[in-house]
This record gives sequence, structure tokens and C-alpha cells, in this order.
Amino acid sequence: MPEKTSDKTIFSLLEVTQSIQKTLSERYRSAFWVKAEMNKLNFYGHSGHCYPELVEKQDGKVIAQIKAHLWKDDYIRANNNFKAVLKEPLKDGIKILFLAKVSFDPAHGLALWILDIDPSYTLGDLEREKQETISRLQEEGIFNRNKTLKLPLLPQRIAIISVETSKGYVDFLKVIETNSWNYAFFHLLFPSLLQGDKAVEAICHQLRRIKRIKSHFDVVAIIRGGGGDIGLSCYNSYQLAKETALFPIPVITGIGHATNETVTEMVSFSNAITPTKLAEFLLQHFHNFSIPLQDGERIIVDTSHQLISEAKSKLHSELKLFRSVTENILTANRNEVRELLKSVFHHTRSQIGQFKLLVLQWKDKLFAHASLQCKQTQMELKNIDKNIFNMSPQVVLKRGYSITRLNGEAIKDTHTIRSGDRVSTTLFEGNIISVVQSTNQSAKE
Amino acid sequence: MSDKIGYTEAFEELQQIVSEIEQGEISVDELSEKVKRAAQLIKVCKAKLTTTEEDVNKILKELDASRADDNEA
Repeated sequence: MPEKTSDKTIFSLLEVTQSIQKTLSERYRSAFWVKAEMNKLNFYGHSGHCYPELVEKQDGKVIAQIKAHLWKDDYIRANNNFKAVLKEPLKDGIKILFLAKVSFDPAHGLALWILDIDPSYTLGDLEREKQETISRLQEEGIFNRNKTLKLPLLPQRIAIISVETSKGYVDFLKVIETNSWNYAFFHLLFPSLLQGDKAVEAICHQLRRIKRIKSHFDVVAIIRGGGGDIGLSCYNSYQLAKETALFPIPVITGIGHATNETVTEMVSFSNAITPTKLAEFLLQHFHNFSIPLQDGERIIVDTSHQLISEAKSKLHSELKLFRSVTENILTANRNEVRELLKSVFHHTRSQIGQFKLLVLQWKDKLFAHASLQCKQTQMELKNIDKNIFNMSPQVVLKRGYSITRLNGEAIKDTHTIRSGDRVSTTLFEGNIISVVQSTNQSAKE
Repeated sequence: MSDKIGYTEAFEELQQIVSEIEQGEISVDELSEKVKRAAQLIKVCKAKLTTTEEDVNKILKELDASRADDNEA
């Protein structure tokens, strides 16, 4: 009861708060649906109760706020509903629609007592956020940016964002490290949270680290798996999706879940349903390199052999042809030579025959000619001999001519003759010695 | 003919040689030279398939160095 003094009525704090409690409980008898942003969930693991901070914002400013409590059993039920519908647990920073009563406790003050939370409202909100992320990236023209990068022929050096204990990580490594083709991979783990709100910053942080040493890597693989499907809305965050879309080397994702594709997966260079499939995606690139390589090798070897054997057989047939042609030519020439030889013999023999005849004829002619010549010459000689005989002094003397000599020399004129010279005259028979009486200077004759 | 040919170029050049050979554009005279080159290219490609040259320690060192740069900035 309040104390009474002379001029005042004084209430104790409990009396005031109990009065407020009574008023409020009379005024707010029934529960009602409220929409608000749950800034903080404030889950206390020890007691299992939550003390969410609820706010309403306008243009980023808080225009209303109130504390709330969500008792352990209600929390478990609401959280299970959330996981079933949203694939997300109750968490900080989501918009919720909840059934509440106004609660006032003298010791703890005013709060909203949350009885139930409708997950479908938050689902729509998360979906809206996801759509917002998508349209924002599209508007900025970066939605497909990562997809336009070129993956090296052999995506061999992999920066892995995952956790060592993740089953997905283990699966992934198993596939790439024990591949039966001996394809070599280099991988380095950049550990990160992979689900829940803190994963956004953690993954972005590792992406930024990888960016600094990007020349050592061909591809970034974000790998998760084995952790259930809860807490993946972080991959719809604008920040993470943008970091992924703008990443300078291809980002591939193997997040391993059965729910709708997240925005980060959509903007990634390539997305696989599971880490194992992601590893197979990389192996496939190696196959795409290795198989043409082997085929090429085989084609080169086979075709070379074929080319050489074709060239050989062509050479052989050329050789054969050459030999046969040569032989033909040789035979033809040999025959021709033989024919020519024959004809030379034949011709020569007939020529010789003719010559022989000619020679014989010439011999006869020569003889005839020679003997005629001899006869003529003999005749001439006879004539000459006769002439000479006729001309001889004996014959001349016989015909009555004589030779008168003075001192042994024949006298041809009277110039050398003097009267009284003693001259000798030779006759055909006998000599006359006479003395010159006179000379007559008469002319010849 | 460089020894330092990258595997991508090696792969492309090899494909070129294969298609030339397949289409009968290579004469027996050129064959020896082409096959020799192809063998080199195949060697480069096969080596790349089964080996990597990255060194974890070197990368981590580089990462640390870049972090120092960031801090200075």
C-alpha cells in the first residue's frame, strides 16, 4: 500500500510497475501479429531462451524499437519451422512476422512476448532480397562478368575456399588427387566459414587474399558440402555475389545443396551440384586436353606411316616402271643396233663387190691404156730413130753432100777462107785435099 | 623454336599440325620436320598434364608480403 504523508502519497516502484502491468494486461489481453526487423536474435545457449531486438527502420533510421523474448520451446519450434521452410535458421537481420503479446514484468520491464513466427513472411522477404541482388548485379552489368573470363585449357592451380573438415572438401580432393590419369593439380586451401551470415565476410576476405596472389591460380573453387541445406542465404548476399562476379579469375562453386541456386552460384563461372561434380568438371577439362593430344599423336603416327608407305610403294612402282621402260628402250636400241650392223655388213659387202668390179674394170682399162701408150711411144721412137738416121752425116754424104773443113773445122762461109788455103773435103767415100784458088762472095744457096 | 613454349600454344600448334597432316597438306619431304616438332609439342603438353610447378611456401610468402604492402597503404 502507498505510504501517506501530510501532503503526499508515495508509491513503491513495485506498486507502480505492478500497476502498469495490470493496466497493460487489461488493455492488451489477446495476442496479435506484428511485422518487424529482428536486428539481433540474442540466443542464450545456456537457458535456451532468446531475447530478440526488434526494430522498425525508415530510410535507414530506427523509428521504433522494443525488446522481446522468445522462450526456449517456442524458439525451438519456430526455428524448426524456419529451417523447414526457408532452409535458414532464425538469425540476425531478418524481417519476421510474429504473433506476440505485450508483456510487462516489474523486474524486466516492457517487452514483446513472441509466441510464434511465420516463416513464409521471411521467405518472401529473403526471396525478395535475392531478386534484389540479382537485379542490382544485372543493372550494374556485372552479373555475367565472371562467366566471360577464359578458363585456361588446363585449370590446374586451384585456390579452394572451404574448411578442412568439410565433407565436400574431402570429396573434392579425393577426386582430383586420385584420378587414374595422373593429372596433376595444385591446390591451396583458404579456410572460411561457409554458411550463415558471417560466411559472407569470411569468404569475401579470402577472395581478397587470393586476388593478391591470383597469378598463381587458374581458378577459385568455393566448396561446401555435408553441412545440410541450412544457412545458404549468405550466397544470395549482394556483397558476396558481387565479389564473385567481379573476381579477376574464374570462380567455380560446388556448394552442395538441394535448394534453389543461389546468386553466387548463378554469377560464378561454373556451378556444380556437388563438390564431386565440380572436381569432375575440372577433370573434364583435362580430358578435353588429353584426348585430342592422344588422338593427335595417333593420327600423326598413323598418317606418317601411311604417307611413308604410300611414298615407298609409289617409288617402287616408279622404279618398276622406270626399269621396264629402260629395258624396253634398251631392247629397242639393241635391236636397232643389230639391224644397223646387219645393214652395214650387207651394204659394205655389196659396196666391196662393186669396188672389186670397178677395180677389175680399171685394171683392164689401165692395161689397155698402158699398152696403147707403149705402142704409140714405140712408133714415135721408131719415127724419131728413122729421122735421126736420115739426118745422119753418112746418109747425107751418101746423097752427094760433102763437108769441107779448114784445119779440121767445117767451113760454112767464105769469110775465113783465103786463096791458097788447103782444105779437106769429106765425101761419102773418101777425102779430097784441095787448094783454094778463089772464093766467091756469093750469097748462100 | 623456343624451349619455353607454353602448353596452350603447344596444344594449338599441335592441333594445327594434326589438321595439316589429316588433310594431307604435308608432303613426305616436310614430314620429318613436322613429326619432330609434334613430338616436342606433345612432350610439353604431356608434361603439363602430369606436373605443376607451384610452391606453397613461395605463395604464402608472397601473400604475407602483399599484406605488408596493404598495411602500409
